Amino acid sequence: MSARLAVLNDPGAWVKNLFKNRDWTIPGLILTLAALMIFFGAMSEFFWSFSNFLNIGRSISIRGIIAIGLTIVLISGGLDLSIAAVAAAAGMVAAMLIDGGMNGILAGLIGMAAAMVLGAVNGSVIVGLRINPIIATLATLLLFRGMAYVVSGGDSVVIGVNTWAYLGRGTLFRVPVAMLVMLGIMAAGILFMRYSVLGNYMYAIGGNSEACRNVGMKVDRIRFGTYVATALLSGIAGIILMSQGGTAQPAALLGAELDIFTSVLLGGVALTGGRGSLFGTLLGLFIVGVIINGFILIGLQIYWQDVARGVILILAVALDSIRRGGGYR
Amino acid sequence: MRRVSKSFGHVQALIDVDLDVAPGEVMGLLGDNGAGKSTLIKILSGVYHADEGEFTRDSNPVDIGGPSDAQALGIATVYQDLALVETRAVAHNIYLGREPRRWGILSRRKMEKDAQELLTNLNINLPSVKVDAEVLSGGQRQAVAISRALAQGGDILLLDEPTAALGVEQTEQVHQLVGSMRDQGKSIILITHDLSDVLKVADRIVVLRQGRLWADARAADTDLNQIIGWITGALPSRLPAEEAQT
Repeated sequence: MSARLAVLNDPGAWVKNLFKNRDWTIPGLILTLAALMIFFGAMSEFFWSFSNFLNIGRSISIRGIIAIGLTIVLISGGLDLSIAAVAAAAGMVAAMLIDGGMNGILAGLIGMAAAMVLGAVNGSVIVGLRINPIIATLATLLLFRGMAYVVSGGDSVVIGVNTWAYLGRGTLFRVPVAMLVMLGIMAAGILFMRYSVLGNYMYAIGGNSEACRNVGMKVDRIRFGTYVATALLSGIAGIILMSQGGTAQPAALLGAELDIFTSVLLGGVALTGGRGSLFGTLLGLFIVGVIINGFILIGLQIYWQDVARGVILILAVALDSIRRGGGYR
Repeated sequence: MRRVSKSFGHVQALIDVDLDVAPGEVMGLLGDNGAGKSTLIKILSGVYHADEGEFTRDSNPVDIGGPSDAQALGIATVYQDLALVETRAVAHNIYLGREPRRWGILSRRKMEKDAQELLTNLNINLPSVKVDAEVLSGGQRQAVAISRALAQGGDILLLDEPTAALGVEQTEQVHQLVGSMRDQGKSIILITHDLSDVLKVADRIVVLRQGRLWADARAADTDLNQIIGWITGALPSRLPAEEAQT
């Protein structure tokens, strides 16, 4: 109760409070992004061109849609490693149905519904059987990816131009539609997480699920919902990816989980839950996208991309633990 | 509550416990580890369901089937360490699970204004209702947790070890808060290990031992040694002041 007095009595306290009580994640990310853009702009004359920004945007749109789901799951205190596998499976389901002669729109919707079923599997295993989400979704990652291989016999399913092609390949005023879809979902997600009661509950559950349970919140139901929602977003990403190339591959987005995790953690979402924001994730996506794009522009050997990805992932996780004021013990 | 029992597997955590609490009364609920205090609290707050027994509120029979039932009955619980969501602001913590809303949209302004009013009424001074709970001191956290219980419309407050992690001054603040809630006619059940403290704030002392009600006395009629004797079961055996009720 003497907190206000303490602040008044300690002349340096306001500076301390400025740093202690303020979240510097977002300003820090914006500065980082600006610095990178200035750096690559100086290194390459092509960097600051409209078409290059569209390149960056295109490169992060599919991963971005999946990252939105991952962000929501992580904020709610969960984890989902199966995100990319779900996207591949959803694309595969839709492509095979189209290949079999089904109406394209219906096939796409069924693909998304299939993704939600996979999300429900994740949710049931984690919430129902109380299995650690790392183990559970590592298992379902193999399971879903394996099923995509089994049903396709390991081959790509080529469908060519289809009803969803506009989403994957179309442009609106030169801007790729896939990017607009990502930004649209992102905007809706930001509003949802900030202003809706349910979004606020997700933050609270990620912060302290026991406290939420004690006040009568439907913790398990909400957690289950986050896995289904995430899978749906992955499914949408999978359909867009399939329509982009006119083909579904069982190995689609193989390893993309890591990139997506990197962007999300870099954006300030805590592995421990309860912290972070979709806006931070968006900035994280752009930072990773700009770095990869910049590497290409300045002509670094392609393998450096993986090195950079590894370094950024370590940085992102390190930042996460620094923000929490501790580390792995 | 009457003849309330609860067991976990073969362990009988509570056996035939009878308990009444009056408005404006501070009851100190004591007992050794495993005596059944936490079980009792969790039954009253709806986290556990009693195997047997019945509950009445204002002489109406009631059922506590879950946390929301308990809330509806005006029973609010403040847990010792699980109370606050550290990563959320004070206002969010106070209205956790009962946020003012319209069509699923959080009314943040109203929530912050109400939270500030509530804290002011209780004479609790915090830097702002917008700071995250994790930057608060132990005493402030406890005050926020208790404010939540009141914000939930509670008039029976269960405080589980509210001062366990607090320093002397902060403990004193919590005791003042308990006193001012009693003056507002709330019933308070205070669970604690700190026996000298409980004699200072409680009007009535109830001791559980091995799942049974062991002692029930007015705080003014007892002393530290007697309470220790009840808790350990070493000295006097059962000393109920409630023969009239049974």
